[in-house]
This record gives sequence, C-alpha cells and structure tokens, in this order.
Amino acid sequence: MTKTLGIYGITLVASMAFIGLSGCSKKSVQSGGDSQATQGMAKGGSIGSSDSPKSGVGSFPDTSIQSGGGGLQGINKNPSEERVGGGTQLAKVDPSGSSGRQMDEIRAEQAASAAAGLRDVFYAFDSWTITEDGRQALSRDAEWMKSNSSAQVKVEGHCDERGTSAYNLVLGEKRAKAARNYLVELGVGANRLSVVSYGKERPSCNEHAESCYQQNRRGHLVLKTGK
Amino acid sequence: MTQMKLISALVGGLLLVAGALGILESGAADVFLEATRPDFQKIALGVVGIQNAGGPDWLGGRIEEVLKKDVKRSLVFDLIDLPGMGIKVHDLGTGLEGGAKAVFKQAAENGVSVLVWGRAGLKAADKEADVNMEGFVYDSGSDEVVGGKRYVGSPSVVRLMAHRFADELVFRYTGEPGIARTKIAYVAEHGTARELFVMDYDGYDARQLTADGFLNLMPRWSPDRRFLVFTTYRNRNTQDIDMIELATGKRWTVISLGGLNITPALSPDGNFLAFASSYEGNSDLYRLDTRTKAIQRLTTNPSGDLSPSWSPNGRELVFVSDRGGGPQLFLMGADGSNVRRLTFEGDYNAAPVWSPRGNWIAYVCRARREYKLCVISPDGQKRMQLTTGPGVDDSPSWSPDGRHLVFSSTADGKSHIYMINADGKDIERLTFEGTHNSAPSWSPAS
Repeated sequence: MTKTLGIYGITLVASMAFIGLSGCSKKSVQSGGDSQATQGMAKGGSIGSSDSPKSGVGSFPDTSIQSGGGGLQGINKNPSEERVGGGTQLAKVDPSGSSGRQMDEIRAEQAASAAAGLRDVFYAFDSWTITEDGRQALSRDAEWMKSNSSAQVKVEGHCDERGTSAYNLVLGEKRAKAARNYLVELGVGANRLSVVSYGKERPSCNEHAESCYQQNRRGHLVLKTGK
Repeated sequence: MTQMKLISALVGGLLLVAGALGILESGAADVFLEATRPDFQKIALGVVGIQNAGGPDWLGGRIEEVLKKDVKRSLVFDLIDLPGMGIKVHDLGTGLEGGAKAVFKQAAENGVSVLVWGRAGLKAADKEADVNMEGFVYDSGSDEVVGGKRYVGSPSVVRLMAHRFADELVFRYTGEPGIARTKIAYVAEHGTARELFVMDYDGYDARQLTADGFLNLMPRWSPDRRFLVFTTYRNRNTQDIDMIELATGKRWTVISLGGLNITPALSPDGNFLAFASSYEGNSDLYRLDTRTKAIQRLTTNPSGDLSPSWSPNGRELVFVSDRGGGPQLFLMGADGSNVRRLTFEGDYNAAPVWSPRGNWIAYVCRARREYKLCVISPDGQKRMQLTTGPGVDDSPSWSPDGRHLVFSSTADGKSHIYMINADGKDIERLTFEGTHNSAPSWSPAS
C-alpha cells in the first residue's frame, strides 16, 4: 500500500515536471480539409455542430456493443437445438475491381522517372538526415526540375524491414520531407513537389541483409504522370 | 471485492491529492492495479471423445480435435490425458447408463473436475445433409451430468460447433464468453498489393475483405465486431482511414484530411476514433468524436506521435512519440492531458497495445538489434520481454480475455502470424500460406 502510493507519488511528480516543461499541451481544431486554422479551446471542448457533415470526415455508424453474453445459451439439462451459422458473416470480395489501375499508374510513373534520370537519395539506419551523397543526387534532380519546369515530382519515403510497420511510416514521411525540403532549398518550387510515405510496405529489395536494407532506406523520386 | 475497494480508495485518494495540486484535469492516473493471478488454478478437464454417429469418417474426430485445442488454448482448463489415467472409453452415452458411473468415479478419484463427451452424425443419409452434434458435461463437484448442448448446421461449420461448445465450457466455469469464436483481421500480400483478410482465431477459414490491388494497412476492430477501421492507399497521394462492414463488404472513407493518416483505434465505447495524422505538418494524434464529427487535436509536439491505444475504461491512451529521439511509449489522458513517458529502457519502443484487463501494455522493444515483444505495467514498475531470437516481431494485439497475444514475426523468414500466451509461453504459428502476413488485430469477444 505504502509502496504503491510511493510509486504514484513519483509518477505524479514526474508528470508535473513534464507538464511544466511542455507548457500548453493541447488545442482543438475544427475538422476540415486544408485549413490550418487552429483554435485555442477550453479543455474537453469539441467544436462544430453535429448536423453538417464536414469535409475530410465521413459518416460513422454506432459501433458500441449492443448485447453482451456472446450468444451463449448455457449448458442445460434439456438443451434445445441451436443452429450454428457461419459465425461473423463475411461478404464475398470481388477481386476484379480497381486492382489493375493502380499498378498501371505505378508502371507509367516508374518508366517516366527512369527516362528522366531522376536519382534516389539514401539514408542511414533510423535516420532521415540527407547525407553528402544524398545532397549530390538531389542537386542533379533539382537541376533537372529547373530545366523541366512543368514536371511534378513525388518523393516517396521508404524504410528497411527493421522496426515496426507503423513507426516506419512516420520515419518514411520524415525522409521524404527531408528530401523535399532540400529540393526547395535548392530553388525548386514547393508546389511542384509532393511527398508520400510507404514505410516498409513497398521494399525494392527483399533479402534479410544490410546490402538490401541500404537500398530500401531511400527517398525515391517519381515523376507524376497523371493528375 | 476487498481488492476493488482498496483500489477505488487509492485512486480516489490520489485524485484528491492531484486535484489539490491542480495538475489533473479529469480522472487521469486511472490505472488498474489488478493482479495477473499467477497462482490461478486451472480446472482439470478431460475430453472423453466425440463419437461418430453415422457421418463421414472424419466428423467426430475433427470436432474432438478442435474442441481439445480450444480447451487447451482457453488457459482456463488443464486438458487431462484420460487414456494415460486408464480411462479408455470414448463414449459415455447420455451419462446415465451403468458403465458411465464407474468412469465418473475413476475420474473424480484422479482429480478430474469435468468430463466432456458427445457424438456427431448426419441428419440424413445425404452428403449435403445437416450435421447434428450433441455434447455432455459431467461435473465431479456435484457428481452429476450437469447438462449438454445440441447443435445443428451444415458440414462446413463443424469447427464452429466445437468452438461454441468450448466457449460454453469457459462461460460455465468463469462467466467469461471465451475466445474460441473470435477472429483475427490481418494484412496479406497479393503480388505487390497488401489486402485485408479475416481468419478464425486458430488460423483457419481465412477470407479476403479488400481487393484494391494496392496497400491497405493496420486494421482494427470496432467494439461490436461489425466493422474494421484501417489505413488505405486507395487514393495513392494521401493515406486515408477507411471503414468496412464485414457482413456486407460496404466500405467508405471516414478520415481524409490529407497527408498520412494511420493507426486508427476506436475507443472501447465506440464514441471516439483516435488516430495519427500529418495533415497539419508532422504526425500528431487526434481524436474524432464519432457522433458530432468534431476532431480534437491531442498532441502538438514537433516530433512524430502515433499508434494510440485505449485503456479499457477509455480514459487514457498509450502512444508512441519520438520526441526524445527514438520512439518511446507515452501515456496521456484521452483528452490529451497529463502526458508522461512510460518506457525508459532501450532506444526503440513502439506499437503499444493496452490489455483488455488493463494491467499490461504489450509493445515492440528493441533488444540486441532485434525487435521483440515486451510487456510493461501502466505504472512502469514491471517489465518483461516475451520473445527472443532473430527476426522482427511487430503489431501485437491482445485476445479479448487478456491471456494471449497475436503478432507478426519474421522469425521463420517471411512475415507470418503467431499466437503467444501473455506470459511468453506456447508460441503457436497461425499462418502458413503466402509471402507476407502482418498487422494482426484480434476481435473483441462476441
């Protein structure tokens, strides 16, 4: 009891120190597309009315648990017959769908990027810092973009297979943004550049080896062919 | 009961202190102190057999095999080797016949608490006819056949009959619904695409849910098991959060703010969706009020914040932030208040999931350059590494009874899905097909 209180005491003191250091800890924003507007809000407040659908947020069903008990009827001396169905009913998926379109677009982009001679930038383990080699590659890319002034380029951030899927998505975004920011520094218009992170979900190399990891830790520059 | 009162008194007292100091905004510090009960005495249960009664050769044996595995995995029962005890019959009829009495006596004398048996057959001679299954339960405490179950269904659902029977047994002896009918959602590679799938908790009956031909990542269940939320690259240039209804396949976008929108997690009451979004710059945490559609920003740190997971009472979130350099686990109130760091050991801790019992948070820790499963108590006092050896372990997800975790691992080369007990014992591989299976998410119990 005393010990537990002591632990809490430590946690509380630590929390106080943290809040003291971090200052203001939150603010609320209205949901909605491009607006960067943020509003300082009193705690726990939610803003916006509930009736008008906002851009960027879709409809949401009630997902709270409707009934407990799990459909179990208990073990009885005179059990009635229970029909066993398919459990959680699952819809059949139609694999035809849009699957071809995505890959066609990607192939077109890869071909155009290769033809333009765009260079990738590579990163150290756990890092999103642009190295000297990276700066040289990006300088060549910047030159190309300046002489092809209508070209739109997407920087894809990729990671090696080590680490978690989720954190690698954030790491990949940092890598892509670091490359984009350097291109902007070199004078490429920010409106001609976009970023996307693929984390470790689309590796270019599939071996469990450092040589392969190095190839996967990359900012891959892609010439946008569509919109 | 006494323990509960103690906890309430303790938490109440802390809130008073905290309130006086003016540092807590609402019921924070809400951490359960529930013990894991390592002394939990399993109930000795013997499966006598499921006799074939006029069906195909495999019928009784299949049900018996599934039932035994369910009983063992429940961790509530100790599955007794009856033949090893000298009990070699496979059928006890209705349990009222003379021979059964001798078997009951022998089992009780050997410390067996529960005996289970039954039979299964086809309702008609026709191969497409329904399967009938009857199960019986003898309880040595009351020395009587306490009852049974009667199931009917198509031959394709016999595994489900065994799962239902197993869950009834768990329910009878613990009051919990059991996990044998739960599902696991996951991501599987199809060519260069990653699509969502759902399978039974034991790895059987995998079904494909999406067919975009591109990336769908990190599915999570709704509390009512009817929906999944997940990140999709369907629009390629932004990563949105979609929702899909399992029964109909109907799918729509719930978050499309722009940027990277990942790691969605519905609160236990379904009223909030917590997620990470980079639409205002770097990855920060937000929560959507699913009724009013208002979005509240929970973190404003210039570093990456992601992977929120709700405490079972919905009052706190554990999440990942690299504000200290590498990724570490942090806790905060569900409104973004009272942020504090939870992990200090090692330079890489990520993918946290709060156990449904509240007493542990499972996550991926880096140990000797490998990514392994760890658990830590929400007060940070207890920490344990669950897996060892080579390979990247990722995406732990708790069973609804809090006794197991499912996760992905490259321990056998390609990424596959595995189940492990919450104490790190009994690793069981669940997927064997395909080139890449990842991001498992365990459904709530029905």
